[in-house]
Order: sequence, then structure tokens, then C-alpha cells
Amino acid sequence: MVHALSEAHRVLKPDGLLIDLRPAPAHRRLGIGQGRSWQLVGPLHEVLDDDHAADAAVARVVRDGLFRLEKRFQFTLDRVMDNPDEVRDFIADFDQRRSLPPHTDLLERLERKYARLRKPSKISVRGPMHLAVLRKL
Amino acid sequence: MPLVMDPAEHEIITLLKAAQWDGRRVIEIGCGDGRLTLRIAALAPKLIEALDPDAARVRLARKNLPARYRKRVSYHVGHSNKLRYPGGVFDIAIFAWSL
Repeated sequence: MVHALSEAHRVLKPDGLLIDLRPAPAHRRLGIGQGRSWQLVGPLHEVLDDDHAADAAVARVVRDGLFRLEKRFQFTLDRVMDNPDEVRDFIADFDQRRSLPPHTDLLERLERKYARLRKPSKISVRGPMHLAVLRKL
Repeated sequence: MPLVMDPAEHEIITLLKAAQWDGRRVIEIGCGDGRLTLRIAALAPKLIEALDPDAARVRLARKNLPARYRKRVSYHVGHSNKLRYPGGVFDIAIFAWSL
């Protein structure tokens, strides 16, 4: 990661900006609804080692004098799905890509809660995002 | 309807706050299927060079590129550890979901 950041530094003009946009190192959460009408079903359990490694790489290039941190933002990002089947597909892919144990209990909890709804509702996976702006030195 | 990513558009709103994009030369390192590339293209940069190591995702990104962006956006297979560009040519480098 440090090498990739050094490459970005090389191709940037003097005073150019590096933008680092990615999920913050926190477990995303599954809930019913979207926007303000969102109710937690439970968290997705993730391995956050890569996120911490990325944080360390950015800290390293700042410490080495390649970049200066100018701004930092945090916001919430939702992935919205229509029904539990779509969530099941999404989570199966999510688990496979990250080599995680399957979220069987969480999906069962979702299906029980969803079955009790009086009318169909959206389902969202919600997580904090991080955006850092760094200036080339 | 399939999965909808960020319907509230918090991501693009934050990118707008983060930098001045219009007229800028941008390199997107790790563009995937080009989802975010298209959002950035709407902010009127002069050009976007978008790359990803996954050739299949780059093909998909090219296929999904609207004609109106074809002069300004180009996708390439490439790796972040060896960028095939001369030094000092971009105003903005973005790692989006890729660091």
C-alpha cells in the first residue's frame, strides 16, 4: 500500500490532491428500512485488518513527508435491497470475497423480522465511510 | 430491483466537498466496474484515467461507459504499484474503495 501511495505521489502534479475513500474500519450493520426509518437487525462481522493496514500506510506517507492531511470526512453509506433473497445473495458474496464464516444467524433473524412486517420494506446494509484529502508536498 | 448503492448520494456529495473537480486531470486507481468513475465524470473533470487490475471489471466498465463521457474517460487494466504514466501529470489521484 505504501508503494501504491508513492506511485500516486509520483504521478501527481506539485500541490496535487490524493483522495482516499473507503469504508471506515467498523462493522457494517444490517437493518430493515432505509434513510431515517431504519431498524437494526444486527451487525456483519468482518475482519478489519486490511482497513487498519490502509490507515497505517496513509499515516506512513504523511510521516515520510510525501503528503499533508488537509481534510477528513465521514458519512454513512447504505446499500439498499428489496427483499431477503437479495440480501442473502449480497451477504453470500460479501462472505466469500472476505473469506468470512457465513452470516446464517443474522439472515435468519432478518427473515423472522421481515415476515412480521405488515407491508414489504426495503432492507439496507449501512456502514460508515471515510474520506481523506491529502496534499502532495 | 437490484441492489441500490448510496441512494442518498452521500458519497458524491462528500466528493464535491472534498475537491474542485471541474477541468482537473484525474487518475482513479482501482476503478472496479466504473460505478464511481461515472459519478466523478459528472463533476466535469477534464479527463479521467481509470484503472483496475481485474480485466473483466475493466471490460464491464468500458461497456457501461455512456457515449457522452467517451472523450474524457478511459479505462485501463493496470496495477497501483506500477502506474504507466509520467510523473507530475494529474491534479487528483483517487483511491476509491481500493487502498
